[in-house]
Amino acid sequence: MTSIVRNQWYVAAYGREIGREVFGRTICGESILFWRREDGTATAMSDRCVHRRFPLSEKPSHLVGDTVVCGYHGFTYDADGKCVAVPGQTRVPRTARLKSYPVVEQDSFVWVFIGDDDRSDTVPIPRAPWLDQEGYTTVSGMEPLAARASLLVDNLMDLSHETYLHGGYIGTPEVANTPITTEVDEDAQVVYVSRHMDDADCPPFYAKSTGIEGRIVRWQDIEFHPPCLYLLHSRVAPVGVLPNEDGTDPGGFHVEVVYAITPETEHSTHDFWAVARDFALEDEGVSDFLRESNRTVVLQDVVALDALERVLAGEPDGYQELSINIDTGGLAARRIIAAQAAAGAEQVPESPAALAR
Amino acid sequence: MTGPLRTVPAGPTATPTRVLEGDRVTRVAWLPGSDRLLGECSCGARAEGGDPIGMWQWLLAHPDHPTQVAEPDAGAAAVHVPPPHRVARPEQAAGPRTPLR
Repeated sequence: MTSIVRNQWYVAAYGREIGREVFGRTICGESILFWRREDGTATAMSDRCVHRRFPLSEKPSHLVGDTVVCGYHGFTYDADGKCVAVPGQTRVPRTARLKSYPVVEQDSFVWVFIGDDDRSDTVPIPRAPWLDQEGYTTVSGMEPLAARASLLVDNLMDLSHETYLHGGYIGTPEVANTPITTEVDEDAQVVYVSRHMDDADCPPFYAKSTGIEGRIVRWQDIEFHPPCLYLLHSRVAPVGVLPNEDGTDPGGFHVEVVYAITPETEHSTHDFWAVARDFALEDEGVSDFLRESNRTVVLQDVVALDALERVLAGEPDGYQELSINIDTGGLAARRIIAAQAAAGAEQVPESPAALAR
Repeated sequence: MTGPLRTVPAGPTATPTRVLEGDRVTRVAWLPGSDRLLGECSCGARAEGGDPIGMWQWLLAHPDHPTQVAEPDAGAAAVHVPPPHRVARPEQAAGPRTPLR
């Protein structure tokens, strides 16, 4: 059975990646072509010409107005994926149509719905408003991961690994040594994991960006919306500085770390990451530092998870794992994703070849 | 309420408080200063245990929560010798390949 959850919205790209050039990316095993209409609206359709399967994201395929022209034989498609012209004849075969995809741009991301299009209106798109909101400055990127998406979910749901894998960047001894609290909302399908450190070393990631000297209060509150959007609400402040009772928090530095975990295939993942902060908003030096530091941390995860994928791919199913308290949140996320995958699998169509028969 | 419950000590001011507010929220708190977990079901049932898998099984059994949370290593009469890690493909092999002579 596929491990990819269908009938869900996934982040396919940053809005800045999609323009008036054809752009191809594989999402959940489906090759998808993205481009913008002349009015700026993003559109998505299958990235294979119906004629001889040439990738429409491959040059010399190109846009002409609100159509895309296949670079091999000139089959031309409108923004809904309908073929409107073929070479040498006036009749366009009725079946000459590309699958189109529901697309929504939100919070700087381009989201695409993978599954039964009719269900796209019933599935909510989780929000990450800080990425495109006044009062925050954001740095972001994407790293390809040669590992299944579930390994990145495991990684992010248990931040105790920061102490060991990311020491000297974001990891300090207190992260692994501080107990967590886990909550699951079964109806909203949200997993929330809190780790609040009252008196912790300040890792360079926060010391250099906030200017705090000395030990800190460090809160990590994970809000995961399975299967794909991960939010880490991070608060740091000098030791003893807590939010006011009315919820205001003038003494705290807030960083919203966002990951969009998008399966590329069963065994590879697009690892979108973003770091939004509510301090030093105009400071390019802080932006450069956070961008480089977070990318370094992400690449440390990439190396580790790529190695883990190679190991798991070579093992027979059923190797025994061992879970301890730090895994409480990750286990909850796995369970919800498994249920989503089972529900989505009931809707999986037959192969395209079978459908064509 | 099932199982023996300890009094949960008052935590420091920064101890996480309840966040999610839905009708069906389950909660597992790692009790400070211990290796123990305190599970709370949305129905109000609470239980303590020492293993997250056992705790989730207990919570997900709602409304028929077992009387106790399964404990780690429960029933293990002896520690088994762990199996070897079997390598199926050459690229999985760790360390330099030993040349044949």
